[in-house]
Amino acid sequence: MGKITYKRLKGSQNMRQRLLLATLKSTPVLIEDIHADDTLPGLRPHEISLLRLFEKLTDDCLIEINETGTKLKYKPGIIVGGSHLVHDCGVSRAIGYFLEPLILLGLFARKTLVIILKGITNDSKDPSVDTFLSTTFPLLKRFGVPSEGLKLEIKSRGVSPHGGGEVHLTIPTVQHLTATMWTDEGMVKRIRGEAFTTRVSVQLGNEMIYAARGIFNRLLPDVYIASDYRKRSEAGNSPGYGISLVAETTSGCCISADTTVSYPRGDEEEDIEGEEKKELIPAADVGEKLASVLLEEIEKGGVVDSTHQGLLFLLCALCPKDVSKVRVGKLSPYGIETLREIRDFLDVQFVIKPDPSTGTVILKCWGSGMKNLSRKTT
Amino acid sequence: LVERASKKQNINLMQLVYGKSASTSNTSANEVKDDSENEESDEDEFFKPKGQRVKNSIEGLDGGNINTEDCSKSTKFSELKNWKEEEVYESIRDRFVTGDWSKGALRNQMSEAK
Repeated sequence: MGKITYKRLKGSQNMRQRLLLATLKSTPVLIEDIHADDTLPGLRPHEISLLRLFEKLTDDCLIEINETGTKLKYKPGIIVGGSHLVHDCGVSRAIGYFLEPLILLGLFARKTLVIILKGITNDSKDPSVDTFLSTTFPLLKRFGVPSEGLKLEIKSRGVSPHGGGEVHLTIPTVQHLTATMWTDEGMVKRIRGEAFTTRVSVQLGNEMIYAARGIFNRLLPDVYIASDYRKRSEAGNSPGYGISLVAETTSGCCISADTTVSYPRGDEEEDIEGEEKKELIPAADVGEKLASVLLEEIEKGGVVDSTHQGLLFLLCALCPKDVSKVRVGKLSPYGIETLREIRDFLDVQFVIKPDPSTGTVILKCWGSGMKNLSRKTT
Repeated sequence: LVERASKKQNINLMQLVYGKSASTSNTSANEVKDDSENEESDEDEFFKPKGQRVKNSIEGLDGGNINTEDCSKSTKFSELKNWKEEEVYESIRDRFVTGDWSKGALRNQMSEAK
């Protein structure tokens, strides 16, 4: 066997994009200085869980972590996929953290991916599972992913700190993506959403819906927010409530926003109990705030919201050798980081042009010509 | 301040994202930082948090904190406008179907011509 040359990287930033792109391009990576200066150095639990997930989906991959966990060697294998897989995402990050790279990985797998993910379905840091259903999946369809195969079922919801949620995910495989010209953002024609409660009064859900509607109704009559009240085994292990909203435009773009309120996951649980449990933000305020967040996303413009910029750029870069053109609002920090990783791994550089009249940014790129090599041709 | 920042952004968005040479990349990395933190005051050079000093000492493309959290959401709940005010919500009226359709269409035409 020949000597493997590793791509050297530093720090835990953009770990997901790095691992994902390394796997898609079969580039071995060596990451050093992972949380090296922290009191508790080394990989975080969710990062390890992510590595385990990649290990599960691929064949012949090699993961080496040093004693303190500050150094990681990763040699990707072949993406296999497959059904009857189960993965416990833990409670340090929500399922959304894992779903973002998982979706792209699944598209380029050999077999259709069917996996059960357990953990936190909704939290304030990562996109909620509702957002994946309402916004991320339509975004994938734009790039030629067959809509019949994409499935995400929320079996039970779980919020921090103890999780207990479960979702069933199905991702079809594709031969290749299709490049898209997508600059028409359209006008918002309707707003949909879902409010959920777990282990708290149903009334809180109604309060959120009422407050959110109050903000939108001056602008648009077509607002419908469904409610999802989970009880007993379907409600996970912790009390919480949240809301996710999506604005659909006349040109088929989806702009989303979501949040969840629950008790923080504390490493120092005694502390929290000592302080007699911090008060949560009232439900009405949550609805009002999130509605404002959505309006702000709409104001920014672009065909996707700021959360989905990274995914959008990745999809563009993974297209066949063809031009993609997209419009986004102000570049988000995550979007910028993703652009950099794309250049480093795929050697795809975007042409970025601001559009001063609308305050948006237009990005063009020539796809990297990514093809699914492991999938059987029919 | 926002206007100035956006002007700066217009000029070198490409540089801001990718960086050109060692000298520009340092400034671009700082600008990105500025963007996300709304331009922290430049005057107090004396008191810098530990992370920032480390950032300045590291040379290279993205000299920021290398262990920043991997998170796609970047919404800040504290900096929201008051969307209940009429002026504020009327400002995006044309982004909705209830607004002026011709203006909405113009928005796309103008940018497509470019």
